[in-house]
Amino acid sequence: MGRRLAIGTTIGTAALLAVAGCGGSTGSTAAAGSTTLSFFGADYGAGSANSTTKYWDAIASAFHKANPSITVKVQTVDWTDFPTKVQTLVQNKQFPDVLEGDAAPQFAQSHLLYPDSQVLSPSLLANMMPTFLKDGQYQGTDYGIPFTTSTRALYYNKKIFAAAGIAAPPQTWAQLQSDAAKIKAKGYVGYGMPLGSEEAQAEALLWFLGDGGGYVNASGTYDINSQQNVQALQFMSGLAKAGDTQPSPGTTDRKDVWAQFAQGRVGMMLGSPAVIPIIQAAGVLKTADYATADVPGKNAPLTSTLGVHDDVVAFNTGGHQAAIRKFLDFAYQDKYQLEFDHEYDLLPATKSAAASMSANPMFAAFLKNIPQSVNYPAKASWQTVQDQIQTTLGQAVSGSPSKILNAIQKTAVSGG
Amino acid sequence: MTHAAAAGETAGERLGPASAPAGPVIPAAAPRPHRAGRGAQVRRRLEPLAWLAPAAILIAVVVLWPIVTLVQTSMQNITPIGVTIGSAGTRNFSKLFQDPNLPGILVRTVVWVVAVVALTMLISLGLAQLFNQRFPGRRVARWALIAPWAASVMMTALIFRWMLQPDNGAINIFLHQLGIVSQLNSNQSSWLGRPDSALAWMIGVAVFVSVPFTTYALLAGLQSIPGELFEAAKIDGATRWRSYRAITLPLLRPAFLVAAVINLMNVFNSFPIIWEMTRGGPGYETNTTTVFMYNLKESFIGEAAAMSIVNFTLIIVIVLIYLRLNNWSRPDPREAR
Repeated sequence: MGRRLAIGTTIGTAALLAVAGCGGSTGSTAAAGSTTLSFFGADYGAGSANSTTKYWDAIASAFHKANPSITVKVQTVDWTDFPTKVQTLVQNKQFPDVLEGDAAPQFAQSHLLYPDSQVLSPSLLANMMPTFLKDGQYQGTDYGIPFTTSTRALYYNKKIFAAAGIAAPPQTWAQLQSDAAKIKAKGYVGYGMPLGSEEAQAEALLWFLGDGGGYVNASGTYDINSQQNVQALQFMSGLAKAGDTQPSPGTTDRKDVWAQFAQGRVGMMLGSPAVIPIIQAAGVLKTADYATADVPGKNAPLTSTLGVHDDVVAFNTGGHQAAIRKFLDFAYQDKYQLEFDHEYDLLPATKSAAASMSANPMFAAFLKNIPQSVNYPAKASWQTVQDQIQTTLGQAVSGSPSKILNAIQKTAVSGG
Repeated sequence: MTHAAAAGETAGERLGPASAPAGPVIPAAAPRPHRAGRGAQVRRRLEPLAWLAPAAILIAVVVLWPIVTLVQTSMQNITPIGVTIGSAGTRNFSKLFQDPNLPGILVRTVVWVVAVVALTMLISLGLAQLFNQRFPGRRVARWALIAPWAASVMMTALIFRWMLQPDNGAINIFLHQLGIVSQLNSNQSSWLGRPDSALAWMIGVAVFVSVPFTTYALLAGLQSIPGELFEAAKIDGATRWRSYRAITLPLLRPAFLVAAVINLMNVFNSFPIIWEMTRGGPGYETNTTTVFMYNLKESFIGEAAAMSIVNFTLIIVIVLIYLRLNNWSRPDPREAR
């Protein structure tokens, strides 16, 4: 493995240096009156067939037709590489004008962003769902522009439930545990519990909420090692140790559990609307074979579930405020919002698009959860906390929950 | 920039030795028989510079610059999104050394490097000996050995991960049929979910991809040993084992040393196997220092750069100690004979 690695690193280093060497501002104003905006976004697709580049390119060219003086250059990158790529862009000061996919407070903290009021028309700003808008605040000003959202629910396999003699989806943890044991006895995975590094923070929060816990307390300060959270993890640990989950939940990623559910091998799991296309692609489960229900809690189902959202932010580093505003007003039309959500089975971020989408029964259940959804903490330090949760929380099911939560709380408090 | 800096750090170790010979090979400005004008003389003096320049520039840009940037980065306070907000002095280093996970990671790194290199060298010694024999199909066998080397390390690691899937991985199904794994989709079949068994499997994969190169290096060494020596030993009544210890091993030492040192550096810096198979998890329990550096980079860019510098220092120290133990300066035994 020697030589190849060495050559690989050499070429890699040279390429990086070349990139760094040519570095300059990307969004440049060329001839008088004509502006080029650079757009950098996450790719929600699976491969080139449904790449998000296509979606943005279509908007960019329609926008260019309407505004010939403004050109938008689109680049998207796969979710896995997205954080690293954004980090590199920022570190090399190659800021895009518009970035889609990251949270706002961390950039706002470094004074890199235009506030929403400067890059959105008042009517568009008023059309944003308030529950997501408030997450993008930094020191009381809106910086994040919600673009796409989703909420979580319990998915269950009706066929497996029938085979195990379970009449209705569980509403409490105790019911979930006994149902999972029955399903396991039939040779399936009872409950799919992904606590691997992909998205441990979501799975954990949905359990924390079931016990009245969460990442922050009522006053909005970090309270990660609360008694409720420790108890929730202890319960999860009990499930895993009894074999009612898939083996090694601490290293299982969400995508693996979702894929196994789509293959008809998992009885229950938590998921977003994005599970639906995976089930359809697998072709094992028919629409009548599975359903969604409220997420079970310790004593009753959750009244507010996890809502996640990906934001657009507008960088002030290129000085293209007017052009960005025109572009965002154009890109947030209902037809584009709906097109995106249709393509990737996500939910819209504007009230008007949500209203027209709620006619679809498949999404209605998820949409109705939005107004009272709980989101991740809107803090500049959240990203750091989330990284640590993703890396270490999985150990809680095999080790000591309180020790791990204490360590995360320590990072959270020291970071802000 | 940590990415570039980190890559530069590994390139530093590799490129250094690889490009250094470019210097001595270039003909020095030897005095020429006929006298020439002053201008021509100056030109002749400067001529070597022109020859050296490409290599020197390459080293400066590709090796030295990243190292300088790396050191700078390690002393800066950088936010998780990559904005530099001032100097951190030595805080990144002190934070790193106070990290409760670091001692375990250092111990694991030693286990990982020693186990992989030792197993690789042992297996390769045997394989090289085998491939040095004449047997039908030797050419095919030699070619076949290249396969794990030629395949992408990342793909190899990924395929092993799939083969170890708890419910339907090929290795698990095989072990299940043998009765070693009592139940599929159980904690027992989740090899990569438990830190100890995950590390063992990853050591196996690392040995698998390191053996071909090492075997070829040793095979080249074996082929350079003249056959008369063995004949002479035979006449003197030496047993096979005795002639292996007294002739083969000492004469194989240069090839063995080179292979071991290259493996030491490679295995220490090995990233794709661990990253693809466990991402260093659960928690930090299968991290080596190289993987830990990458994990740190997600949130603590400065601290990751500090880890990178520690790695850089460690690898230099390890190699120096190893060379010292093996008396690098001792003359080649072949010259002594």
